[in-house]
Amino acid sequence: MSSCSSPWKSTMDGNQNDICGQSANLTSNPLYYQFGLDNPLFGMGIQQPFPPSTSPFGASSSTNIPHMDWKPAMMLDNLTFIEEKIRQVKDVIRSMVDNGGQLPGRTGDIVQQQQAVNADLTCLIVQLISTAGSLLPSLKNSSFLSHPPAGHMDMANHVGSSSSMVPYTTISEENNEDTKDGDEGGDAGMDGENLLPGSYELLQLEKDEILAPHTHFCSICGKGFKRDANLRMHMRGHGDEYKSPAALAKPPRDASTEHAMVKRYSCPFVGCKRNKLHKNFQPLKTILCMKNHYKRSHCEKSYTCSQCHTKKFSVLADLKTHEKHCGHVKWLCSCGTSFSRKDKLFAHVALFQGHTPALPSEESKVSDQVGRVGSHQEPAKLTSSMGSFMWDNSSGDDTVLDIKGLDSCGDDFLSTANFGSFNFSFGPLDEIKGNPSEGSFAMLPSEHFQSVREKGEN
Amino acid sequence: MSREGQRLGCGGAGGIGIGVLSLDMLGQVLDRLREPRDHKACRLVSHALERAEAAHRRALRALRREPLPRLLRAFPALEQLDLSACASLDDASLAAAVAGADLGIRRVCLARASGVGWRGLEALVAACPRLEAVDLSHCVGAGDREAAALAAAAGLRELRLDKCLGVTDMGLAKVAVGCPRLEKLSVKWCREISDIGVDLLAKKCRELRSLDISYLQVGNGSLKSISYLGKLEELAMVACSCIDDEGLELLSKGSNSLQTVDVSRCDHVTSQGLASLIHGHNFLQKLHAADCLHEIGQCFLSKLATLKETLTVLKLDGLEVSVSLLEAIGEGCDNLVEIGLSKCSGVTDEGISSLVARCSHLRTIDLTCCNLITNNALDLIADNCKMVECLRLESCSLINEKGLDWIATCCPNLKEIDLTDCGVNDAALQPLAKCSELLILKLGLCSSISDKGLAFISSNCGKLVELDLYRCNSVTDDGLAALVNGCKKIKLLNLCYCNKITDGGLIHLGSLEELTNLELRCLARITGIGISSIAIGCKSLIELDLKHCYSVDDAGLWALARYALNLRQLTISYCQVTGLGLCHLLSSLRSLQDIKMVHLSWVSIEGFEMALRVTCGRLKKLKMLSGLKTVLSPELLQMLQSCGCRIRWVNKPLVYKD
Repeated sequence: MSSCSSPWKSTMDGNQNDICGQSANLTSNPLYYQFGLDNPLFGMGIQQPFPPSTSPFGASSSTNIPHMDWKPAMMLDNLTFIEEKIRQVKDVIRSMVDNGGQLPGRTGDIVQQQQAVNADLTCLIVQLISTAGSLLPSLKNSSFLSHPPAGHMDMANHVGSSSSMVPYTTISEENNEDTKDGDEGGDAGMDGENLLPGSYELLQLEKDEILAPHTHFCSICGKGFKRDANLRMHMRGHGDEYKSPAALAKPPRDASTEHAMVKRYSCPFVGCKRNKLHKNFQPLKTILCMKNHYKRSHCEKSYTCSQCHTKKFSVLADLKTHEKHCGHVKWLCSCGTSFSRKDKLFAHVALFQGHTPALPSEESKVSDQVGRVGSHQEPAKLTSSMGSFMWDNSSGDDTVLDIKGLDSCGDDFLSTANFGSFNFSFGPLDEIKGNPSEGSFAMLPSEHFQSVREKGEN
Repeated sequence: MSREGQRLGCGGAGGIGIGVLSLDMLGQVLDRLREPRDHKACRLVSHALERAEAAHRRALRALRREPLPRLLRAFPALEQLDLSACASLDDASLAAAVAGADLGIRRVCLARASGVGWRGLEALVAACPRLEAVDLSHCVGAGDREAAALAAAAGLRELRLDKCLGVTDMGLAKVAVGCPRLEKLSVKWCREISDIGVDLLAKKCRELRSLDISYLQVGNGSLKSISYLGKLEELAMVACSCIDDEGLELLSKGSNSLQTVDVSRCDHVTSQGLASLIHGHNFLQKLHAADCLHEIGQCFLSKLATLKETLTVLKLDGLEVSVSLLEAIGEGCDNLVEIGLSKCSGVTDEGISSLVARCSHLRTIDLTCCNLITNNALDLIADNCKMVECLRLESCSLINEKGLDWIATCCPNLKEIDLTDCGVNDAALQPLAKCSELLILKLGLCSSISDKGLAFISSNCGKLVELDLYRCNSVTDDGLAALVNGCKKIKLLNLCYCNKITDGGLIHLGSLEELTNLELRCLARITGIGISSIAIGCKSLIELDLKHCYSVDDAGLWALARYALNLRQLTISYCQVTGLGLCHLLSSLRSLQDIKMVHLSWVSIEGFEMALRVTCGRLKKLKMLSGLKTVLSPELLQMLQSCGCRIRWVNKPLVYKD
């Protein structure tokens, strides 16, 4: 995990500063604080849906609308529309109130009307949001909104929404899509790594606990398991009471734990940056992170790569990751540098004048190719294996050839002195007689042909 | 021997005339000879000319490997060396040929020299310090190591690696780093190359002017890298399916001076992308967008108009066009020299009329499969485009002799006309005979063409080089007799399925000394006698197709073995030949590199085995029945493959056609 967390360091430090800067602001404005808690999903400014005039946070919002980027005319139109709509809904409800006592039997109608009202109200809310949403750009630059209290947002996940907040949560759900592409919506803000000290529950396991292979133990026989589910399966063997669906089911998440503080972990190794006593302490996020961190940083590397026998790892998964790449083609440069990826090699070659990719060594290449297509790289070897069959024609030919070879229009090239004997069983021999090329066959000793036949019949 | 050659030859025989001239002067004379045959004649008749040639010869095309070492020393001034047809060239022979020599060779062609590997290339590069251009295309076995060997030639300016299937990003990187002065590079079909490699190439080879990345799996990222190549003029990216409009837009924002762009068969390119490309490159001259567009947007047309002055070539094959589109092209680009509308649906006479009204410079018009056009369109073309040289009208079955008459009358420069499957008859050939410049004439599937029509052609088209009479089955021996009377320059002749032709016709063909490619598929009546006369007469024959010529027997093969010494490709599938004939053929023909021998039922397994062994590694391509795969000895197959031979095993039933 350490490798993963280090790149984040700088950004986290930066964020911490921001948070410090904001904390004054936040504490001075408890309303806002709560508001931040309630909108975990938004990077920033989700509160804008509420027009300034209707905002419950009048104080803060009124100080934070310096510009009027939106078009007043359009805004007016929208507001008029909303007004009109509200009036309509009001009418309907009024009529419902009026008719309520008179027609008790027609419940179906009432249900229908209620549904219609609900729909109208939803429409109204949406309209309100979109109207207010058009204010968003103008609010973007406002100082406090652009720096969301990220740490608190994370915690907000575990804070139930109070009844008074219900409308706001619906708003936030609907508006989720719109704000997704906001500038601040990145993972960094949501990371939770820059929690304020004290805003989370800090746990520190001891070495033995960390290195224990199992975390779930059978209360009857003491057998250990890595996963609770496996333990539950195991428990079935201890009696029928463990076979009920309730016992086998995943224990429901306790309501109280949902609201509990975020948990963070400290490394038991004193002096480690991940130890809570360190002055730049950075907590570990999950129990798995802590296990891996402890093994990687403070334990012996007991797993050795079976291929290269040099790389060692203390976490089995790391070894497996390495073994996937170990022994694969290395991309080599003529300067001797090797790369694990081709594009890296090519970028290197592009950068340095005169450097060129190095091809794999000769031996491996040749063996590759022989295996592949009986390559033409090794004629000599093959020739020797052909035994008496590869008559050496080049030496004989050189004496015959003269400059006519240039255009090859000569007609005295019918030298077959290098050609084998013909007295074998295909084709009727009679056909040779009277042929224009008599005398062109110099017969070889017949044992040549014998060997041919033997080879041919193999 | 041509007349020039004869005249010089006579001078040499006199003994005095030539000898007094200086070597320089003689060199000048030799430079003006075009035919290799004449060079040889000169060399034979006069020592002075022989010496002059030795001192002056710049280009050499070697057909066999054995004389190579001596040739390279005999011609010290050589600059171009073509080894693409050099049979059984391998690393050892190439290295031996160039060993120790300090050669001034600048350009080497090793296309399809599949026997050459990195060792040979290393030796070549070491021996030719001035190497500027190498063509290694279609050496399918070549890979990174070969590319690395070439990368040692730091002065390389041109490199073709088409279909070097083993070349990956690493090989390309080697070349990019080793040859920073590269100007032309083609890596077509090197499917292993990715964006990373192209990116490095663009960073290292800043001088690139021409780049071909067709058929690569590269994406828009490559185009972004390429867009920084300031000197790039030509870019071909045929069938790069990962490239789309976004990539073209990136390209258009770049700093290069593109003149030619080929985005044919790029499935994800639309006219929108092309519009943005044109927006960025106002001097585009050639735009190939065949088989990639489905519809043309207005934005593209308006951008096209901005290329009014420059655009000369536009190919829109496979597009659905309308009259208004052709009109817009006609008005927008009046300097067009070539337009390709092959397989475009919706091309009508009206469309052609609005197209040609303004484009009077058109020289090449491709209307293949535009089957709605009639004689009117031809009349309009003839009236407006007097410069037309090439007219492709395959499958335009509504045209006839009237339209062609007007074309032939108005367009005296016509050099190529494709009338395949147009159903034209002898009457159409009579006016065409007026085109005395005609070089290429394609009449395939016009079964009503007869001897009479050929007589018209031969009467005036003496320059004809290529004639396609595929399935013109009314043509007989007399037609061929008439043909060879007038058209003596024919190099390519297709007579497939003209089944009235007999040995008599082939005897006439024997007088075509320049014939290089001859296809005689399914001529059941021809026998060894006809083949003999061709083998003896057609001294330049390089490719011969005798598939389904059931009457051709060993006698034909003996004749080919004896006389057709330049033969490189041969198809004898279904012929009635025996193992003996095959053995003799393969042992004698030293230039033979490609043979197809499917269903030679008279040849025993031993016959095949023996015949293939005697080829001594000259073969580069071989097609046989897959049944032989298991019965031929494994070491033979291994030997063939080690020499760079690719074997294609086919499995099809024996069917006799007639």
